[in-house]
Amino acid sequence: MASKYVIGIDLGTTNSVLAYSELGESLDIKLLKIPQLVAENTIEAHDSLPSFSYLGTTAETENGTLNLPWAEERDFATGTLARSRGADFPERTVGAAKSWLCHNKVDRRAAILPWNAPSEVSKISPVTAAQQYLEHLVSAWESEFPTTPIREQQVVLTVPASFDPVARELTREAALAAGIPSDFVLLEEPQSAIYAWLAQQGDQWRKKLKVGQSVLICDIGGGTTDLTLISVDEEDGELVLRRVAVGDHLLVGGDNMDLATAHSVSQKFAEKGTKLNPWQSVSLWHSCRAAKEALLSVDGPATHSVSVLGRGSKLIGGTITVEVDKSEIASALLDGFFPACGIDDRPQRQPASGFQEIGLPYESDPGITRHIAAFVNAHCSHDSGEVKLPNHVLFNGGVFKATEFQDRLLQVMSDWNPNDHSCQRLDGTHDLDFSVARGACNYGWSKATGGIRIRGGVAKSYYVGIETAGLAIPGAPRPLKALCVVPFGMEEGTQADVPSSEIGLVVGQPVSFRFFESNTRKEDAPGFVLDHWTEEELDETDPLQATLTLENSEETFVPVKFDSRITELGIFELWCVGVNSQGQWKLEFNVREE
Amino acid sequence: MGLMAASKAFFKLLFNKELSESFQQLVDGRLQPKLESKPAKPVRKSEPKPKRSDAISLLSALQREARFLDIVSESLGDYSDAQVGAAARDVLRDSGKVIERMFSLRPLTEVEDGASIETPSNFDPAEYRLTGNVSGDGPFSGNVAHHGWKATKCDVPQWSGNKKTEMIVAPIEVEIA
Repeated sequence: MASKYVIGIDLGTTNSVLAYSELGESLDIKLLKIPQLVAENTIEAHDSLPSFSYLGTTAETENGTLNLPWAEERDFATGTLARSRGADFPERTVGAAKSWLCHNKVDRRAAILPWNAPSEVSKISPVTAAQQYLEHLVSAWESEFPTTPIREQQVVLTVPASFDPVARELTREAALAAGIPSDFVLLEEPQSAIYAWLAQQGDQWRKKLKVGQSVLICDIGGGTTDLTLISVDEEDGELVLRRVAVGDHLLVGGDNMDLATAHSVSQKFAEKGTKLNPWQSVSLWHSCRAAKEALLSVDGPATHSVSVLGRGSKLIGGTITVEVDKSEIASALLDGFFPACGIDDRPQRQPASGFQEIGLPYESDPGITRHIAAFVNAHCSHDSGEVKLPNHVLFNGGVFKATEFQDRLLQVMSDWNPNDHSCQRLDGTHDLDFSVARGACNYGWSKATGGIRIRGGVAKSYYVGIETAGLAIPGAPRPLKALCVVPFGMEEGTQADVPSSEIGLVVGQPVSFRFFESNTRKEDAPGFVLDHWTEEELDETDPLQATLTLENSEETFVPVKFDSRITELGIFELWCVGVNSQGQWKLEFNVREE
Repeated sequence: MGLMAASKAFFKLLFNKELSESFQQLVDGRLQPKLESKPAKPVRKSEPKPKRSDAISLLSALQREARFLDIVSESLGDYSDAQVGAAARDVLRDSGKVIERMFSLRPLTEVEDGASIETPSNFDPAEYRLTGNVSGDGPFSGNVAHHGWKATKCDVPQWSGNKKTEMIVAPIEVEIA
């Protein structure tokens, strides 16, 4: 059955959004109003669904407090209520589930969230949390459009460009469990931001981007920062956009900034002898976000007062106010998160503390400009020793509502090459909150109607670890080699035979391969073997494994070669193909804790 | 254990990927009982829900998000202007957000305060309120003293509680030590 709508879903770390358009002559993107609990028994429809889950108590379930128009006897809530419960009941609230999806030190299918919750809370897995948010969006869609169920529509779901194949696979798993049709497409978020810009520009974009130019997309969400570089090329006389590189997954974002502001402002309250309780701290956090946006906008005021209202019904008497200077906020945030730095500066890696090992691996260096310096230096071309800066920067994420962040970032980048004056903000509206969902919608529409598409294929090269044959030395692991199975830029819907010597696999027992990815080794072809590498070059993720079975055969050992595929939908698959026999076996990521 | 491993392998062989995975999760004790594996279809409940007045829902939202009831219920005489101002700043900002989100208020006329405007003849008094020297049916011309307001939508939250809690605007908040 032909789809009537194309649906773009932004499954964000802190907010999820659904945009849709009819698949007609012209693109007309709308945002779905998402009914959600905003308080007990109280439902309001908002443009976005905060990506939080609150795991209710027995009393709440029995009284129907968390029910939705489409769900009775609910024992959890997603959305605004869940986010606000995070302040009062952190041990019952799941947040940042998406960051956990790509955290390969934990079993992401196991019920581990909320992290460190007491035993009476029945925890959920990161995959289940993602599934709950998507189910909520799907149900909201079906309530609004009961005659056009989502399984018959074309769906585009976005993931961070830096998501590894495992995190993509887990996202897919959550999406299918939530009722999203199996032919949905995964799209990288920064590309989505460009598609949103393209949708808003119409045909004007060809005048604004020239052959040979490049665009840096700087996407700072609530919890993560994602970088992508796009180049403008020419093919058969037509302008084409090509994704050249994506950055590492950086766990630093707007929430860190608001917390940093709240921390420095709370010192001012402490000076006045006021100790804030948890409720007031959250209210301070929200006030600080408002203060940040006001003070750090063009022609913003020099001071802004931040108040914390009295907790009880005596509100006015209990209210405490402090004045916050622009200069204080600027030095805390601009110098903390967007410090001036040289092109050769690198993120400072501090030894991981015990604290980091129990929770999410937050970046030890919050200096986003240093991460961008490393990215630009690695992926932009150099001309007689000077780096060629990206011509345009496209900003995405609510953080950039404080426009001084945009100006600071452009200033720091311009200083990397004072002779290169081309680095400018991409002309046009940067829709900071909703562009990912809107862009996903435009992508789906372009795919169906033959509009502009960004080329690029896979943003990284992938490798499996092969233990070298040779004399085993007791107590010492055999030396490991890395065999390239997917080259950088491998296109969706293609496959690659991986030339290699035959690899013998034992039948009937699980076989496991270590798996690596690289976003700097762009020249390696399938079959290329690395004998040694640095930590910066290759990044190890979850291992791949399979159990080989052979029917009607006495063999205990099968010689195989690898065959890798990138599906039309952007999913990576690695197969072992028997050299002498007919069998082939798909390797699956093992995401369990080691 | 040998039997367990055998049955795991058996299921892996026999069933498709999803099934065998759930099975393995069950074996490992990792599978959480799921509430709803597919999003439920919108349900029409047979018994009618108690309906709460939108006015109570609006008050509730203003109190929840902006502490509006606390500030208007407090005796202002006890405080200095500066104290009232400090509290009012936040309450007004947040009340404004609630009202904008639910009603999207817009001026009834684009004509600015003080500029001249002409009314149609036989206008609706709900739309124009004339002061000064008025006689006959119009049309009248005069200066805009206030641009008026209109709500462009009315999206007050839906409420699904029971009869007993219908009139509750804000719950008792208790901090457990």
